[in-house]
Amino acid sequence: MKSLTTDIAIMGSGLAGLTAAVKAAEAGAKVAVFEKRPFQGGGVSNTPMMTLVVRDEQEYKDKAFKVHMEYTNYSADAAMVRSWIDNSSHIPEFINRLGIDFLHVLKFDLDTLGRLPGYGGGFPNGMHIGDYYLLKPQGKGHGAAVICKRMADTVTKLGGDVRFSCPVTGLVREGDKVTGLVATEKDGDELHVNAKAVIIASGGFSDNPQMIKKYTGFTYTNNNCDDGGDVLFNTLPGARLTGDGQQAVWAIGGAQGSMGINGHNLVPGPGIIGNTPWVMKNQMRIIQEQPYLWVNQRGERFIDEDISNNHMAMGTCIASQPGRCAYIIVDEATVRRMEQVGLDHIYFIFPAEKLSDVRGQFEYLINVVGNKHAFMADTLEELCAQTGISLEGLEKTLKAYNDYCDAGYDAQFAKNPAFLRPVREPKFYALRCFCGGYQALGGIRVNGNCEVVDADYEPIKGLYAAGDCAAGNIWGDPPTGGIGVSTISFAHGFISARKAVEHAKAL
Amino acid sequence: MKIEIQDYCIRCGLCEDLYPQLFTLNIDDDKIDLAYDDDIPTDLEQAAQDARRDCAIAAIFLK
Repeated sequence: MKSLTTDIAIMGSGLAGLTAAVKAAEAGAKVAVFEKRPFQGGGVSNTPMMTLVVRDEQEYKDKAFKVHMEYTNYSADAAMVRSWIDNSSHIPEFINRLGIDFLHVLKFDLDTLGRLPGYGGGFPNGMHIGDYYLLKPQGKGHGAAVICKRMADTVTKLGGDVRFSCPVTGLVREGDKVTGLVATEKDGDELHVNAKAVIIASGGFSDNPQMIKKYTGFTYTNNNCDDGGDVLFNTLPGARLTGDGQQAVWAIGGAQGSMGINGHNLVPGPGIIGNTPWVMKNQMRIIQEQPYLWVNQRGERFIDEDISNNHMAMGTCIASQPGRCAYIIVDEATVRRMEQVGLDHIYFIFPAEKLSDVRGQFEYLINVVGNKHAFMADTLEELCAQTGISLEGLEKTLKAYNDYCDAGYDAQFAKNPAFLRPVREPKFYALRCFCGGYQALGGIRVNGNCEVVDADYEPIKGLYAAGDCAAGNIWGDPPTGGIGVSTISFAHGFISARKAVEHAKAL
Repeated sequence: MKIEIQDYCIRCGLCEDLYPQLFTLNIDDDKIDLAYDDDIPTDLEQAAQDARRDCAIAAIFLK
């Protein structure tokens, strides 16, 4: 048996873990990071790296706090939300110090916070509580991958120990405090780590079908929902976000925090999303952003479709429908409009203003790729036979909806009249969307200091958690958001490092 | 020209998506498989140069 002694031991080398490692090492602590994969970075390495920053002015921080608490229906942990917001203003300087620039910075006035429609810069309405900082990427990737590499290098330069292919298998608790962890080295040897403090930053549980089923009710799929699954993720391929950190904490008495899925409307299928969801292979992802007719399997509308580009809200709505799926339906006239006039919702990831050869793209997907979620038909009867949508329900919906379009007023859901486009002219096109994309997160209950608490909400001394594994209570219970979690990972990294170093120095 | 992938590669599979003639993401073994361990064919050298430029973490080296 091998052993190692350090001040701060950190499980996971994603954004939260490495932020904590850099900050703790800068504060003079001896740091050791344990990463199960053979390289640095967590699920964030595959995401558009736009981070939210609440500027360091009291009225902005107060407004952000109030908007966010209202967004979560006051079910978020107020102390944690306040702590996250207060710490977010340090993010830009921290990133710049790593030698990374921002591609864009979008600043918003106080009056606009909480009021912008759609994703705007990439966040759902409730997250419009600050400014957006988009990292400059490397090549055709995202800045998050680069920042994790720079942080790992920084930790090493500061004398820290970053160990790859070294999974943590358990925590060591003695009485009321955690005193270390157990890991498995690359050669298979067990490594006992004595630490004054341990920070868990192991990420979410998107790669654990059992936990997803048990704690969220969703059925995981890695086969484009063709296997009966109803949630799919496009986090880093093979990221092994197994929930091992959550389970290690629960095993030594840490309490379970809120857990959930944060996902957007997502049409699954080969040719639509490969390993790298930001590299567009066709324009289906743009169509699914549009505010046209959306129905469920019963053929019924379920929302003012203007929210279709508010990803978290649309994901929540789709998850509430029968079969946890929904369909966007457009006719030939609307297709022509998207090709010749332009789109109503511009998607910032794929910012095309018009589409091209929509019919050709559908034909390719259906006939060549064999996609099971793209449909094209000459009649409504045929469309319903293909999709499984109730014909009776759809005909009833269309009768009313097309009348709303003619009248210029949506009596059912008061959609913006500019987005009322009838469905009349063959061909008819449909995309079946599920909920997915981002993350299954949460599970570890922490207080506003990122201290892990037990069932009585009493902190377990020496144990902290940061990032997606502990982010549930920021989004409420159940979590109903989560896009833009990078801001939380950074802030959690700052907070957990500060508290862990204080604890270690006091011993 | 030979392709060499650095250890810090994040296995995102961007190279496979864009240049499948040179790279395959091997999730089971947590690595990127190269189509050519030795010199790559001359007609793929431009693709290799492009892959080096496009890599998300600058982990593709050419020798």
